[in-house]
Amino acid sequence: MGIKIDALKCTGCMACEMACGYHRDDGFALLASCIVAYRTREKKDYFGVIVKEEDELLIARPEGLEVKKLGASEEPSEPAQKADASAKPMLLREACDMCEDMEVGPMCVKFCPVNAISPA
Amino acid sequence: MEYLSADKILVVDLTTSEVTEDELSDELVEQKIGGAAINKYLYEQYEADNPVVVGTGLLTGTLFPASGAAVMTAKSPVTGNLCHCPITLKVGLEIQFAGFDYIVIKGASDNPVFLWVHDGIADITDALDVWGKNTWETTDTWRKAMGDDLIQTMVIGKAGEAGSDLAQVCLNYWASGDRFGFGKLFGEKKLKGLAFRGMGLLEIADAEEFVDQALEILDDIREGDFIGKKGIGDIYAAMGQSGVNAWLEPLVHRHSACYNTPYATNTFVYLDEDPATLKETANEEPGFLITELYGLLGFKALGLSADDACRMLKICAKGGYDAAAVAHQAKAAGKTSMGDIESALADFSGAGPMHGKGVFSPWCPNQPLFSFFEEAEEDPGGWWERRQAVAYIFGIHPIFAVMSPELVEDDMLEMAGVGTELSIEPEKLNAAVAYLYK
Ligand code: SF4
Ligand code: SF4
Repeated sequence: MGIKIDALKCTGCMACEMACGYHRDDGFALLASCIVAYRTREKKDYFGVIVKEEDELLIARPEGLEVKKLGASEEPSEPAQKADASAKPMLLREACDMCEDMEVGPMCVKFCPVNAISPA
Repeated sequence: MEYLSADKILVVDLTTSEVTEDELSDELVEQKIGGAAINKYLYEQYEADNPVVVGTGLLTGTLFPASGAAVMTAKSPVTGNLCHCPITLKVGLEIQFAGFDYIVIKGASDNPVFLWVHDGIADITDALDVWGKNTWETTDTWRKAMGDDLIQTMVIGKAGEAGSDLAQVCLNYWASGDRFGFGKLFGEKKLKGLAFRGMGLLEIADAEEFVDQALEILDDIREGDFIGKKGIGDIYAAMGQSGVNAWLEPLVHRHSACYNTPYATNTFVYLDEDPATLKETANEEPGFLITELYGLLGFKALGLSADDACRMLKICAKGGYDAAAVAHQAKAAGKTSMGDIESALADFSGAGPMHGKGVFSPWCPNQPLFSFFEEAEEDPGGWWERRQAVAYIFGIHPIFAVMSPELVEDDMLEMAGVGTELSIEPEKLNAAVAYLYK
């Protein structure tokens, strides 16, 4: 069970990131989100979404999905490293728990305005 | 104010280099609500020092749909009026989380400076190294110096430094809703720009209720008439400018949205790369993000090709020129080629095309987009002003406000109450709107 993302539908609005941040912190904040709209290649218009899962990183790139196993020695790939710049690194964040404590279900799925995220 | 807020007003005196902080009182929020109305209130407090005020709306940076806008307020050096323009993309969001709800910048510095606002700290910082640099180089320099590519900037280029009427405060690398020459005001203050980054947290008075209601409103919005449309091409079509979409289409790479905004109002064109490229290109600067409608329209009307028109937009944004005003002045001067327009940039003066009463930026089209608004049938001018005023008070994306009738004032008021525990009734909103026109 997890979520899947259609990176070409994604408009980079960050609603998913805020929705996940709310699920973690009960306020509006981005620091603890396990789903992040990566947007550091602004001048290149290269953007997508990364999700931290239990033992892998899901990187929804425009050209296709990449799944990175999180091994002790493994380096996260470029966008994952850069997604959060000085913010909390992706690897230090909690893994997606599918919002199991939320009545409405996965918050990122609910708040994505263009339905780019769906339960897998 | 405890909720949906950093509870801080920052006052920066560029003349003395002093930075002071105030609390944001519940009384002020209950009286003026937020955004443009509190900006104006603060402007009046410091009017003698010709301030620029940057502030967030009451709902900016929340999960309320389209809550992506902050507001810049100042007296336009071009029109002479006190006016407001939106701060969109992810810049409004970053302002909200950088630790201050409102920032008053008054006086003028002797030497070039920028304001670095991060995690509740504000530093007036030397900008001598970037004075003379274009907006792209400046944003890159600041991001590199601070080691953070997500720093969001409001920045001027050559136009603002040289005191051009056409000077615009740009957002990161792109055009903004500053259609009032605020860039010139920055230049007069020797203020190269503002840089924001923050990891703040906004507390919510009744969090569950707020989020449940935001979701209900979003579900309504998802049934809206704009669904299935994307980018600026479709906006032009909705404005009745039917030829623009097909003219631009061959250059279009992707469309993107401002923070939490259901419609992607921005369109990226690839000028030096195949627009069909999906992989990350090695080209560091393959194109341009179109964030403003009237510049492109103006260049098209002059007979420029889509490629030249987009390149012209890029030249304008790098130099910190308001492209809509450039196209307007180029037409008046009979300049109709990219080269001629570029060489004449420094000679242009005066305002660009305006609509409305001159209080809110003409960046937002003054007509409904995609959707039917009953009030717009009866009184189109009054409808647009009201719609903008409310959006600028709550921090709602002004263009999305004219495409989504599902966004209603009562919901914004209710969410303001649920989110802050303050009593904010419809009469207060009416008073705050009336105040903006005083
Ligand atoms: S399902 Fe919940 S925990 Fe998982 S990414 Fe989405 S919001 Fe975050
Ligand atoms: S909410 Fe949807 S459109 Fe917005 S960034 Fe997330 S996946 Fe992309």
